[in-house]
Amino acid sequence: MNESLISPFNFSHPTAVQTSLYALGSFARFDPSGRFIGVGRFDGLATIWDLETKAAVRWLDGHVKAVTSLDWSRHSQYVLTSSKDWNVIVWDLASVYDPPQRHATIRCDAPVSSASFHPRNSQIILALLSTGEVYLIDLRKNHRSRTELYEPDGDEDGTEGQSSRRYAMTVARFDTSGKYVFIGTSGGYILVFNARTKAMIARHRIAGGAGTIKGLDFAKNGRRLVTNSSDRTLRQFIVPHYPRSPETGVEIFLDQELEPTHRFNDPINKTAWHAVSYSPDGEWLAGGAADAANHKIYIWDISNDGQFASTLDGGREPLAHLHWHPSKASIASTTNQGNILIWHSPNAERWGAFAGGFEEVDENVEYEEREDEFDIEDEAEIIRRKKEAEQDDVDIDTIDGANAPVYPAVNGFHVSGGNGAPPSGNVGESLDEDMKWADEDANDDIGVWKMKILMDDDDL
Amino acid sequence: MDPLAGMDDSSTDDDNASQTTEDDPQIPEHAPAPPPPPSAAPPLPPQPSLARREKPHYELRHTLTGHTMSISAVKFSPDGTLLASCGAENIVKIWSPFTAELIRNLTGHTAGLSDLSWSSDSVYLASASDDTTVRIWEVDTGLTHKHLKGHAKWVFCLNYNSTSTLLVSGACDGDIKIWDARKGKCVKTLHAHLDYVTAVHFNRESDLIVSCALDGLIRIWNTSTGQCLKTLAEDHNAICQQVQFSPNSKYILSTAHDSAIRLWDYKNHRCLKTYTGHTNAKYCISACFSVTGGKWIVGGSEDHKIYIWDLQSREIVQVLEGHQDVVVAVATHPSQNMIATGSIESDLSIRIWEDHSRQGHQVQGTTTSN
Repeated sequence: MNESLISPFNFSHPTAVQTSLYALGSFARFDPSGRFIGVGRFDGLATIWDLETKAAVRWLDGHVKAVTSLDWSRHSQYVLTSSKDWNVIVWDLASVYDPPQRHATIRCDAPVSSASFHPRNSQIILALLSTGEVYLIDLRKNHRSRTELYEPDGDEDGTEGQSSRRYAMTVARFDTSGKYVFIGTSGGYILVFNARTKAMIARHRIAGGAGTIKGLDFAKNGRRLVTNSSDRTLRQFIVPHYPRSPETGVEIFLDQELEPTHRFNDPINKTAWHAVSYSPDGEWLAGGAADAANHKIYIWDISNDGQFASTLDGGREPLAHLHWHPSKASIASTTNQGNILIWHSPNAERWGAFAGGFEEVDENVEYEEREDEFDIEDEAEIIRRKKEAEQDDVDIDTIDGANAPVYPAVNGFHVSGGNGAPPSGNVGESLDEDMKWADEDANDDIGVWKMKILMDDDDL
Repeated sequence: MDPLAGMDDSSTDDDNASQTTEDDPQIPEHAPAPPPPPSAAPPLPPQPSLARREKPHYELRHTLTGHTMSISAVKFSPDGTLLASCGAENIVKIWSPFTAELIRNLTGHTAGLSDLSWSSDSVYLASASDDTTVRIWEVDTGLTHKHLKGHAKWVFCLNYNSTSTLLVSGACDGDIKIWDARKGKCVKTLHAHLDYVTAVHFNRESDLIVSCALDGLIRIWNTSTGQCLKTLAEDHNAICQQVQFSPNSKYILSTAHDSAIRLWDYKNHRCLKTYTGHTNAKYCISACFSVTGGKWIVGGSEDHKIYIWDLQSREIVQVLEGHQDVVVAVATHPSQNMIATGSIESDLSIRIWEDHSRQGHQVQGTTTSN
């Protein structure tokens, strides 16, 4: 809300390292409020850092092998960690105990490569196993289940499905609405499942072939997605619309090749990418280069037809992971030494801010005196006018955005260099069956929670 | 939801009434309809906020005596169960605002105290002292949990942020320090003003700090970088001595030595409301928002009274009398219609005022607006 005051210039991408956290992490993710950063470590520990004080505030000790992913619930109260020790643990940060108690433990059948919460309900969890299988785990009492999402045998359309069959699943993500699960495979396919019915509703081959899909990220409005694949190219796609059959209300199976709107790569060094992340407004894309000797982040300007904007140099420690802040021009990038660099977009000190009513201008402005500027006015008249101006009501206690939807409706979005794909209705739709299903029996992650205040005891 | 939503159209039949009568309780909005809400939802406007036009009826409930020197601050705990007060005599007193009983004295400071701030869980209390330190107390045990040393001069004001991870304090040499409350370490020092920093306050999101000083300036700071973002100055040398963000952090409320309390839109550098009628030319007197019943501004005064203004109409809706000296400390209860006030030298009492009449109105107000 104060972004306009804090950085009066246009939203931009970060340019410099603000802080470096010595966290021994293998990756770091901001929470949806931007107040915390969650760090997964090789030794099985996950740590929660407070960005206001730049200090670790919670240690989540439950895994016995490396933490592979960490996800935050919608209001940041719950944290999910997945690990190579075959477990997924859900932690409750509102817990009055320190260290926090585990809220739920989910035992899988293999090391877990990644896991995430459903964006609307933290009782629904998507888990990807290192064996290439994906499970949708529902912890709700009335829906308690563990369902494997798999590509059905292509008996009914047996003609060309053969080639794609049974590739290992290498990445799994909910889309921003939570209606669909997008799964990338080692064969370069993107499979789409309905999260409620668990049915596969689409299979997309990436035009031209791309090799194993290593990463997937959605723009916040849910209409664009970017993939990172083993051919060292990032591809941006417009998320297709998944039409429903009017009779059954079920999505019609779509077997469609996807043509990327943009391809991003490094033509000179041919670097691969470790991670990719959209800026909150979707106007920028950050790619973390898999450079063995340098810490490099490439930034592309999506609103400017995907033009390369700049490279951020984070020094000698190679990059392992990066994540863009949920609302600011800030990135957290993790080095392979376990340090986390917090990038920001510094503003030059504006000395004009120290003088009341003083405004700095970039260029000389020819000042034009108003006709009545130095007229002597009747003081009573001035007071009267002032009083009149003070008649407007003010609202001192309604908090902006307190009830605003977390998922922005589709608006103000312009397709850059689009391929004419129809606007997808994935997001912002009224509560349909899928949404109702997702919202049912949601847990207490409702936004009003407090982290217990702790004080260090050391100095007494 | 918002009880303020439909209040502009208090009545339509007295549009022709005088527009400047300060004491007319039915101050009409002039002809041009209030901008956003009515056009959007025509069925809503007949939501006459008659309740709002009613005045508060605060009555003296308790008089707490015990301080032996001038009182400088009174603060309700965020959970509403306790009242902390401090003054020139080195100790913090913890009271029950309901029974008027003194619960505990917090002793440890070696000089007088100027300000207090509660952590959001009501467990800790920070105090600013003339011994140049800040102490963080665990109120239940009465022990000092952290002793923040670093200021070169008397610490005059302090404030916890909403998550209670940071503390900001202002001192008499013009410096502001931001502390990591958990570690008790100073994380940033701002050379903010050229004179006594008389108030510091975090906004809701903790990304801004507002400060004011006897140099007459109100400044807004970026918490994370320490950069000054804005300076507000009233034209006619009104030295501001107390400043705070509104509950939603959109505005700031300041009290100044020209006997005026002002509500500012700090983003547009515009004074939205001026509340006058009280006397304030010498002391650092506090004022606060009251949002539990009607929407009021409550302020102390040098004529020994407490004034309550209607937030919107700016008219004085109640004057509380009883103190024998200047009322410098004022606090409103977080959830009930309760005001605590503290006075100086020849009075030294804390008074608790309550308004039971409005409880019903508030409930009624919320049900009708839904």
